Amino acid sequence: MPAMWSRLLQVTTVLGLAVALYMAFVVAPIEEKMGVIQKIFYFHVPSAFMAFLGVGLCAVMSVLYLLTRERRFDLVAHASAELGVVFCTIVLVTGPIWARPVWGVWWTGEVRLTSTLILWLIYVGYLLLRQNAENREQAARWAAITGIVGALDMPIIYKSVEWWRGLHPKVLKISGGGGLEPAMGRAFVVCLVAFLLLFVSLLVERVRLGLLQDEIEWLDQQIARRPPAAGAAGGGRASP
Amino acid sequence: MTAFEPGALIAGVLAAIQDSPAGGVAAGAAGRPDAVERGLRFLAVAYGVVWAILGAYLVILSYRLRRVARQVRRLRERLGL
Repeated sequence: MPAMWSRLLQVTTVLGLAVALYMAFVVAPIEEKMGVIQKIFYFHVPSAFMAFLGVGLCAVMSVLYLLTRERRFDLVAHASAELGVVFCTIVLVTGPIWARPVWGVWWTGEVRLTSTLILWLIYVGYLLLRQNAENREQAARWAAITGIVGALDMPIIYKSVEWWRGLHPKVLKISGGGGLEPAMGRAFVVCLVAFLLLFVSLLVERVRLGLLQDEIEWLDQQIARRPPAAGAAGGGRASP
Repeated sequence: MTAFEPGALIAGVLAAIQDSPAGGVAAGAAGRPDAVERGLRFLAVAYGVVWAILGAYLVILSYRLRRVARQVRRLRERLGL
């Protein structure tokens, strides 16, 4: 992506996040039963969506990599897995902060919470696997399999509240909840768009990092292939 | 000079909103002053944590990008590219 577009995307993201904060704190009304603590929802749920996007994109790119063995798919899979972990971390931290005043506990063995923690652990494992592998080809193959298997946890997380009738609230209509008040719904959509912009901005930069790392590898190979300099051939001594 | 505290800022903004009719003041048990104050504390921590995580990731990513770009430049110079 040209630098100008990248910069424009970053500026739009910052503006989007500012508008999201305004919508969440000023426009959206305070929920009647939970009070102000419900406002965690405006960053917690979009973060969960972005975690799903990261994990889902990683799985799709992993499948494409296994089919084609093209490096670009592996690069995007790695970048999106990393972002998936970042957003899943936000979900796992903000969830208990909301739960403590509402449920009275930081954490329960509820299926949605547990399966989200499992998803996070799988993808942290994915990143560790990539970081510690010596053979890049092999690491990419194993990471792709881990990425695909890990994504199977997503439908479990999404449907867990229905399947196991968990404590976790169903607020959105798409998840079988009662829906939001219009002003809350508008604030939520703005927050979702702002987080999507943030995800794309970070993904662009993370892929750029991967491309630069590949370039280093290529340049290193070129240096290794280069014939030794004339001075170096004679052990660094000039012939008499 | 007092240190800038994002949590306190959010709590202040929210307290102001809480008093304004446009904010839709809560009518239930959550509207009690003690519950509001407690809610604000948790909310400030939650939003603080979100920005801290995102900020930390941004700092790490930009550091890695700068380091790698520097390395690429050095290798290119070595190869005369």
